[in-house]
Amino acid sequence: MARMTRTWWGKKFLDVLSHIMDSGRLKRGRAYSTPRRLLEFDVSGYTVNAKIRGNVNPHFGVYREPKYKVVVKLKRISVKDWDRITGEIGNNAACLSQLLMNEMPTAIEGVFSELDLHLLPQSRADIISSCSCPDYASPCKHVAGVYYKIASLLDRDPLLAFQLRGMKFESLQRKLSASPLGQALSDHFGSGEPAIEYPSHRYTSPQRRSLPNGSPKSFWQGSGTLPPVEVEDGDQTAPAILIKRGGDFPAFWNKDVSFIEAMEPVYVRIVEKNKASL
Amino acid sequence: MDIPRGTWIPGDGTEFDNSGRFVFWIETAETCFREHDAKLDFHPRCLVDSDRLVEFLSIGLSFSKALVSDLYPETALFHATLPSDDRQPLPSLEMAQLNGEFLPDEADWRSWKIFGISVDKPLLFLRKLQLAADFGNPKIQLGSDLRFWIQYSLQLRNLAKRHQFLPVMKCFQTGGRDPELNIFAGWSPASGIYEEGLQEFADAMPGICSAVDWANPAKMSTEQTWHFDPVELLRQFSEQQVEQLISDVVFTQKTRKQFEGSWLAGAMGLVEPHRANDPADQGLSTAEQWTQWQSWQEEILGQSHESGFVLGMRLHEGDEGQDDDWRLSFFVTSAQDPSLKIDLAEWWSLSEGKRELWLKHFGRRFERNLLVNLGHAARICPLLWQGMESATPTGLSTDMQTAYEFLKNDAIVLESAGFRIVLPSWWTPKGRRRARMRVLASGQSAAPGVASANSATFDLPSLVQYRYELSVDGKPVGEEEWQNLVSAKSPLVRFRGEWMEIDRQHMDRMLEMWRRQEQEDDVSSVGELLKQVGEADDDSTEFVFDEVLDGVLKGLQQIEGMESLDDPPGLIGQLRPYQQKGLSWMVTQEALGLNPCLADDMGLGKTIQVIALLLHERAQLDSESNSELSPTLLIAPTSVLSNWVKEVEKFAPQLKCMVHHGSHRTVDPREFGKSTTANDIVITSFTIARKDSGLLKNGKWRRIVVDEAQNIKNPKSAQARAIRSLSARHRIAMTGTPIENRLMDIWSLFSFLNPGLLGTSAQFSRAYEKPIQQSGNQQRLRQLQRLVQPFILRRLKTDKSIISDLPEKLEQKVYCNLTKEQASLYQAVVNDVQDQIESLDGMQRRGLMLATLMKLKQICNHPAQFLQDGSAFSESRSHKLTRVNGMIEEALCESDSLLLFTQFTEVGSQLENLLREKHRCPVHYLHGGTSRKRREQMIESFQAPDSPAGIFVLSLKAGGVGITLTRANHVFHFDRWWNPAVENQATDRAYRIGQQKTVFAHKMVTVGTLEERIDEMIEEKQALAANIIGTDEKWITEMDNASFRELIQLNRSAIMES
Repeated sequence: MARMTRTWWGKKFLDVLSHIMDSGRLKRGRAYSTPRRLLEFDVSGYTVNAKIRGNVNPHFGVYREPKYKVVVKLKRISVKDWDRITGEIGNNAACLSQLLMNEMPTAIEGVFSELDLHLLPQSRADIISSCSCPDYASPCKHVAGVYYKIASLLDRDPLLAFQLRGMKFESLQRKLSASPLGQALSDHFGSGEPAIEYPSHRYTSPQRRSLPNGSPKSFWQGSGTLPPVEVEDGDQTAPAILIKRGGDFPAFWNKDVSFIEAMEPVYVRIVEKNKASL
Repeated sequence: MDIPRGTWIPGDGTEFDNSGRFVFWIETAETCFREHDAKLDFHPRCLVDSDRLVEFLSIGLSFSKALVSDLYPETALFHATLPSDDRQPLPSLEMAQLNGEFLPDEADWRSWKIFGISVDKPLLFLRKLQLAADFGNPKIQLGSDLRFWIQYSLQLRNLAKRHQFLPVMKCFQTGGRDPELNIFAGWSPASGIYEEGLQEFADAMPGICSAVDWANPAKMSTEQTWHFDPVELLRQFSEQQVEQLISDVVFTQKTRKQFEGSWLAGAMGLVEPHRANDPADQGLSTAEQWTQWQSWQEEILGQSHESGFVLGMRLHEGDEGQDDDWRLSFFVTSAQDPSLKIDLAEWWSLSEGKRELWLKHFGRRFERNLLVNLGHAARICPLLWQGMESATPTGLSTDMQTAYEFLKNDAIVLESAGFRIVLPSWWTPKGRRRARMRVLASGQSAAPGVASANSATFDLPSLVQYRYELSVDGKPVGEEEWQNLVSAKSPLVRFRGEWMEIDRQHMDRMLEMWRRQEQEDDVSSVGELLKQVGEADDDSTEFVFDEVLDGVLKGLQQIEGMESLDDPPGLIGQLRPYQQKGLSWMVTQEALGLNPCLADDMGLGKTIQVIALLLHERAQLDSESNSELSPTLLIAPTSVLSNWVKEVEKFAPQLKCMVHHGSHRTVDPREFGKSTTANDIVITSFTIARKDSGLLKNGKWRRIVVDEAQNIKNPKSAQARAIRSLSARHRIAMTGTPIENRLMDIWSLFSFLNPGLLGTSAQFSRAYEKPIQQSGNQQRLRQLQRLVQPFILRRLKTDKSIISDLPEKLEQKVYCNLTKEQASLYQAVVNDVQDQIESLDGMQRRGLMLATLMKLKQICNHPAQFLQDGSAFSESRSHKLTRVNGMIEEALCESDSLLLFTQFTEVGSQLENLLREKHRCPVHYLHGGTSRKRREQMIESFQAPDSPAGIFVLSLKAGGVGITLTRANHVFHFDRWWNPAVENQATDRAYRIGQQKTVFAHKMVTVGTLEERIDEMIEEKQALAANIIGTDEKWITEMDNASFRELIQLNRSAIMES
């Protein structure tokens, strides 16, 4: 089974469940985060509302396949505290840069703990949840399923944690605008996602164009001089250099090991095995 | 004369997989297509036999069997849209130039079927093709299309070697009733360099590269003349080549495991690259996965396009003792103009207005891009996060150990990821302080009393003594101090005021070596020293020479700084300044016990320099010992023997010269010994050197000079072995053909000159030939050049220091002999005339005289010209032709164009054909029958700066006046006109306004014949010139019978059998 989350903040977000739930329930809960079970899932404001397909369970008197309504919230942080936190973030280029790259800032817990707060839930008190199922335990496995789903969304959108903790996006933007770098991040939030392109061919398909007018001489000769190219030995290359800018855990990479670390030997081997051609 | 051609043809585009293939074909001069039928639209001049095409790879290009099968050549049939006339495609530009044809300015465009082969692994193919063209048979001329692809593949290979490619996700929709999004995983080259290269190369792409297609354009559309978009064609080629690189790689078990389940497993060939979306994957839809990949790719590549600045980091060193005052500061520079640079520390303090000014250079969204850049840099080097915990990041402070890690690892990675890194000078390759072994070499004169009339410069050391020192940065370090450094705990140590890196292992090794060497008393020859210096590794050894050696070695390597010797006494004529330098260079070489190779460009006067050397050495000895000087043995091709005799006569008549050649030569050892000792120079040919090797081996030689030393390039030949086995005190090789690219030739040359310098032929092949020739190892090539460079003196006409020494026009006579065949024809004509001339008078006598002159000149040119019997116009029958051909080859090697004048139309066309066949360069022939239009075309094509160097054959009458051919800087007068003014006018076709180079006029003179005698008469009458001699040959007919007889008589000693 694919892992639910692969970022450090996603993991940390899930850690709390193991403290507040028994392992059996927790394990079963994971199954409720799949599209087959999770019929509806919606984040509005600070609240997550979901509808989950439950199991028939005669023990609880459930004889028809039930649909349970689940609500999950996190304990809110006060507006005053948020103001101070977003102020801190706006003053920290490392945080801004990581948020810009869609990562949870590594230093974020430090920023919160200075105010005696924490961003990611640490105890039962941080999670407010309800479920319409008859299970007496809280949180139940359905809540856990929704929680897992939140964790996997967090991977790609760390700001979701801020939102659920009660931060107003507008206030974040206002606070960020105080510094030039903060402003840059704030502007970035406005830009959308790329449109999908469907190539019709495996490789670029060269278009046929009408032959430009020219003399037979220039047809054979071209512009005359070819761009100069130096022969390089290539020994100086740092492996996988191009992808290093993309970070250790790009969104599409769902493994434990760093993407860069996994790719370095791949690049090295590709070049080494093609010595004759290169 | 075939021209290999080839290009990339994309797949037909009806399927998703539109893979292309690289096709290779050969354009021929003659029609190959036996069943050629115009209706079939087959290109009539392409090689139609796939076996022969493959054979060209294995024999023509010397590709190994394994390589050929790796390329998997397959028969291919394709279409090319080519400039054509109404019947057939026009020849390519290269072919037209070779054939002396001209392409019209406009043409019809028609599609032709071409027969060829397609090859796998184009990168491999193009690489081997280039190596074959660079180092192999020099007669292969590649088509412009192949040259283009070779150059582009160099670019692509560099990109691949620098890991400038990415896994890519191609998202496509399958058709059918239930359309579904699919993912196809692959790879693509990426990065700014790639994109820029595409545009540059597309602009330079010859049309022939993009006008080739699988499909017949005539059947495809109404638009018949199309080609592929050049940028897109390059893209497809690049994308497919990069994917092909990955396709054959087998990854390790560990890697396979790591990528299991990821879409990248498809890209790596672990599973099928093509798969439909698997919903189990994180519950993400195909579109979502694609979006993730796309944003990732845009993040990596996107910002490099739009931002106008480069982020940089500078490391500031700390003080000794304080451990944590090292600092990394951030700065930005303009991408266009790196001199526009500002520290971030300063940036944050700027006023809004000042920032605006900078932003003009740094581009839009500076802050956003700065954040992304900082983030990217910190991803690569997490240390940098520390410098970003502020709204106005400026850098960070750190300790020495961390700074060292940064220097050692991160700096290089950041730099190759496109960040600018400034490091302390003591870390840069140039400023790095190196702990090295210093070899202190001092020269010792074995015989300090050698007389030197000239100056102390030539009081030269014959032995070298060595001392060894441990050193840092060129300054000696004592053993104790060295050990202190080695035992220091930290990797960076402040030593004598500056930081240096300590490589403990390396320093330990050197200490050991030093201790060993100190025990030995090392003495060697200068030659040994040069070998050691050439092979030394700069990182561990440094040579220090005492004043004497330093002066000597500098002089050998940089002749400009060498002190010139005066002209030796007895030299008739004057040495040019560079020739004086050449003389002192050779004198120095010999005094050091080295054997040099004189490789000056043709026309710079190698012969006179060698003659001057002989005179110089005689002047150095007093008259008593002079007589004891053994003769110099000179070995040269038969066709230049008499030129040597003539040159010695001209420049140093007191040198006694003997030719050992021909069937009348002395073969009795005793007699031979006697006559050689009575001479200063013994001249012989390569053939005789082989035949009489026993005789020559027993001779006592002061020196062996090998002229046209490329003749001993095959080290295994009997000729080369015979010459190597001769012993003499000195050896000199002379050559005018550049030898740098022919590796085994270099070895062969040095096995004659300085055996041992390059090791045995097997060692040489292992150390240099294979690495350079088969894998293009640049480092080995540089090392080889460094090794041989001190022994070779090669100056080009175009060298700045030479140009100033040369007049704008230089004339020389080139002497050659008659072959046996020529001599007997000549004698027969002379005999015939001698009887007749007495019985004739008046017009008849004149007529006979003129006819005789004509016949004899024809014979001097070539027997076939005189006989008019259609017999072979071969080199072996005329020494003159051999010599001209040799000189032409040298000129063409230097990319010099040349003119060749003859007064005989029939020989002109024979020469045209022969030269074209032999030299494979454009050859034009202008004669009285050439139409005006064609004449203009020829001149234009010859003069065009983008055409290859070529030959212009002209009949003296048609081409002697009026036209400008300044592209040529060599003018050959194949036969002589009796009037210098006419010849000079001809030479002036090249020597006129617009000429940038020195013009060399070479006048061919056959010795022992009327050509030589008339030449002498002209020289004597030069002062009287035109008014007496007139412009034609009539004045000769004014001679009396006795004078005429004397004029045409054959001097039999001038015959050279080949």
